[in-house]
Amino acid sequence: MHAKKLSPLLAVVMGLALAVTLFPVFWIVMTAIKPPTDWNASPAIWIPSEPTHINFLTLFDPEAIGAYGVGGVSQSATKAVWGSVRASIIATALSVSIGLLSAIGITRYGNGSKIAPLVILSGRMFPPAAIAVPFVIIFSNVGLTDSYVGLIAIYAAATLPFSTWMLKSFVEDLPREVEEAAMIDGRSRLMAHLTVTIPLIRGGIFATTLFIFILNWSEFMFSLVLSYTNISTIPVQLARYVTATAGTLYGVQAALAVLAMVPLMLMGYLIQSHLARGMTFGAIKQ
Amino acid sequence: MSKPKLELVALRKDYADGSVPAVDGIDLAVQPGETLALLGPSGCGKSTTLNMIVGLESPTSGDIQIDGRSILGVPAGKRNVGMVFQDYAVFTSMTVRKNLAFGLEIRKMPKAEIDRAVHEVAELLGMADRLDARARDLGGSELQRVAIGRTLATRPALLLLDEPLSNLEYAARLAMRRELRRLQQEIGLTIIYVTHDQIEALSLADRIAVMRAGKILQVEQTTTIYDTPDHVFVASFLGSPPMNLLRGNLEAHGQGMLFRIGQFRLQLPPPRPGMAMPRGVTLGVRPESLQVVPAEAAPLVGQVLLAEPRGPEVVLTVESAAVQLKAIAPSHGRPEEGSLVGLAVDPASLVFFSNDTSHRMELC
Amino acid sequence: MAENTMQAMPPVRPPRGLSRDAVVRLLTLPGVIVSLVVLVLPLLVALYMSFTDWSPRSSSFFEAGFVGFDNYSELTVYDTRFLYAVLRTLCIAAVCLSLEFAIGLGLAVLFLREFRGKSLLFSAFLSPMMILPVVVGYTFWMLFQSNGPINQMVELCFGPGSSPEWFRSAPLAVLAVIITEVWHWTPLFFLILLSGLNAVPENPVRAAVILGASPRQVFWRVVMPMLKPVIVVAFVIRTMEIIKLFDEVYMLTRGGPGSATETISLYIYKLAFNDFQLAYGAAAAFLVLLGCLLLIHLLLSPVRDQLLKGGR
Repeated sequence: MHAKKLSPLLAVVMGLALAVTLFPVFWIVMTAIKPPTDWNASPAIWIPSEPTHINFLTLFDPEAIGAYGVGGVSQSATKAVWGSVRASIIATALSVSIGLLSAIGITRYGNGSKIAPLVILSGRMFPPAAIAVPFVIIFSNVGLTDSYVGLIAIYAAATLPFSTWMLKSFVEDLPREVEEAAMIDGRSRLMAHLTVTIPLIRGGIFATTLFIFILNWSEFMFSLVLSYTNISTIPVQLARYVTATAGTLYGVQAALAVLAMVPLMLMGYLIQSHLARGMTFGAIKQ
Repeated sequence: MSKPKLELVALRKDYADGSVPAVDGIDLAVQPGETLALLGPSGCGKSTTLNMIVGLESPTSGDIQIDGRSILGVPAGKRNVGMVFQDYAVFTSMTVRKNLAFGLEIRKMPKAEIDRAVHEVAELLGMADRLDARARDLGGSELQRVAIGRTLATRPALLLLDEPLSNLEYAARLAMRRELRRLQQEIGLTIIYVTHDQIEALSLADRIAVMRAGKILQVEQTTTIYDTPDHVFVASFLGSPPMNLLRGNLEAHGQGMLFRIGQFRLQLPPPRPGMAMPRGVTLGVRPESLQVVPAEAAPLVGQVLLAEPRGPEVVLTVESAAVQLKAIAPSHGRPEEGSLVGLAVDPASLVFFSNDTSHRMELC
Repeated sequence: MAENTMQAMPPVRPPRGLSRDAVVRLLTLPGVIVSLVVLVLPLLVALYMSFTDWSPRSSSFFEAGFVGFDNYSELTVYDTRFLYAVLRTLCIAAVCLSLEFAIGLGLAVLFLREFRGKSLLFSAFLSPMMILPVVVGYTFWMLFQSNGPINQMVELCFGPGSSPEWFRSAPLAVLAVIITEVWHWTPLFFLILLSGLNAVPENPVRAAVILGASPRQVFWRVVMPMLKPVIVVAFVIRTMEIIKLFDEVYMLTRGGPGSATETISLYIYKLAFNDFQLAYGAAAAFLVLLGCLLLIHLLLSPVRDQLLKGGR
């Protein structure tokens, strides 16, 4: 096949779609580098006259924005950023390692039940606001409210169906004979899995890890209801900028949004060929 | 002779990357009611040729005519040419009935006529009781029947079969081969049959066209192409095991000629009147034309390296003066591996190919 | 004798180390424990709670009064705010899914042909689904400001003074939510449909062309039926997600104006964490779950055979 030019009509359609797709990304990035005078100007300013990195500085040093005569940034986002990093990384590691064991177990020793995916899907349908309710009760009884341990436990559990089913689809792609050959060579069952299966699907494990990280990093509701003063995450902090200061800190908020968004988009592009598999619980392989 | 059903005139297909052409100027005429097999190794341009006839690809140059009229301007689907694929390409989401009716519904034929045509075709293919089965529940040979029936229902002037039996298991393949023969005789369709399986070609086709690297090397009646291949490649492609091809030198010897490769010698009759004796030649002899005789007083003597049984007969690999020959002998009383045997050959069954052009020459 | 048997069939000898059952337990137990403790147990607690009148302000959880199906009958019979939230969510879901499907399919079909820069454009079109829902919500909140860029473009097209206040009018606020959601998740449909289209075998399509079908007929009669399982998977997954719709709405409108954009999740969230009616909220959640199961069952039933049989 040879690359051709699109017909003019299709090129216009494609161009419009592209503009619509990218415009919000453009806007949030532009807002993040606008000085306070440009934030909410009327009419709206598309490209800042004097780009600045003051918004990013203000995230970690609330006083920095004072140079522009703006006061009243209540909180530094440092805690939220570290909270997100910590909770996402640990929860992702837990989710993927447990999911990997389960995936091998289900694929190689499962009774071939075809109903299990539907059950898991049902679990994913339950409104998280309602799952959050019993968690608040249970956690307050065991002292896990407002703690990273509690948050990480929920994150790991909530993404476990995704990691299990995505990894399962990678294990399924691997012929059983590979492990059986290792067992006939005298390796134990467990060692065969650990030293043969896992290295062979490391590409899949990598993709799953990034995918689960994206999910954890994006999570909002659980951290919203479980964090009071001790813990915070980026999404919660993003929502708080609106409440705390009545939506006046556009630029700082946009800076945090960009900070949250950029690593995720990079990861997304990196695993884009596996996104369909992840989102559909391995039902669609690319 | 009546007008040919299909005629390809200097048909050529180049690919955009400018490498060797997929189809390199072929001329071919197919007569009405004839079954012609296009035989060749994979990548020789068979499928590209079919695609051009059916309209899925357009030729770089040349012409395609049906009943004497060029169809190059006619889009695929309006050429009245049917095609059956190796992987059946049945519409798996539909029932058998829907599959058979597909082409007719597209043509907006009245409902009653569609029903009649579908039943007729289903009857012909022995699938009348399977009309309401879903295609995805069918087995391989049933799928291929649906694929053939779907095409036959539209009454094509010409039917193209692209390796239709290759995906079937052995037994199903034999049964389907018989079925195709029966269809051929009952409907008298004009068929072009693409295959790389020479047995299939030999048993189904009236004529065989052997292709290699985008060119047709020979088109000939099935009965004669086997005995008198025009080209070294045709000789090596037809027959199992293929023809023994020996490249050697000729020298005058007594009344006739002597063919030699090193120490290997074979006495031949003199060349035909008017034929000059070439220095080098490739000698072809079918394995079944070599008779195993007692070693004493045989024209060729050699040692049996290998005896491969094939049911009623055995394929012998005999080495005579460093030249290996395949021969076919009856199974009972066959020589042991390692024993010495003699081989006799009727000079009339020998064919000769020029070492320069690889084409056959009428030497003796 | 025994030695002979061993030598006769070495492949049957079980592998060394832990027994098969022990390995199975070792592999699956962590997942099962986590699921039980962190998913099933809270679900059971919530289920029990939905039959009580417990609220953190009234009493301790263990002394809560049992009220039977009171919460459920209240919700289904009297609570119009809940019923509207359900209807609203379903309407938003129906509109969003139709738009996402139509646009996603159109884009996917465009991407079936070859053109320059295709892989770069493909990545670009996937971008929205990689962005955090909260960020998407915040971004569109800015775009929809009365002096924001969307209104600038509206004025450019329809003249000065034509620009609306998106978050002050109920229908416009719902429209804003829908636009945001469609922007965010159309890429998923695009991605799933494109991989489905790429997996459609070539020969049935060619066969249909040879049988005389026009491109349109080929698409609707041959390609779409083969795409059906993929389409259903996309719809099921998106339906599940959209019924849980929360993050974007929370950032965009907080459910306002009034309760004009209140989704099921947002309503339950407000019940539980603004009004502290935890038991009542739990009952609402179970009703929603029941409805979802029914919905998914209906969605899946036409292709269940295909899905379970297909592939593995």
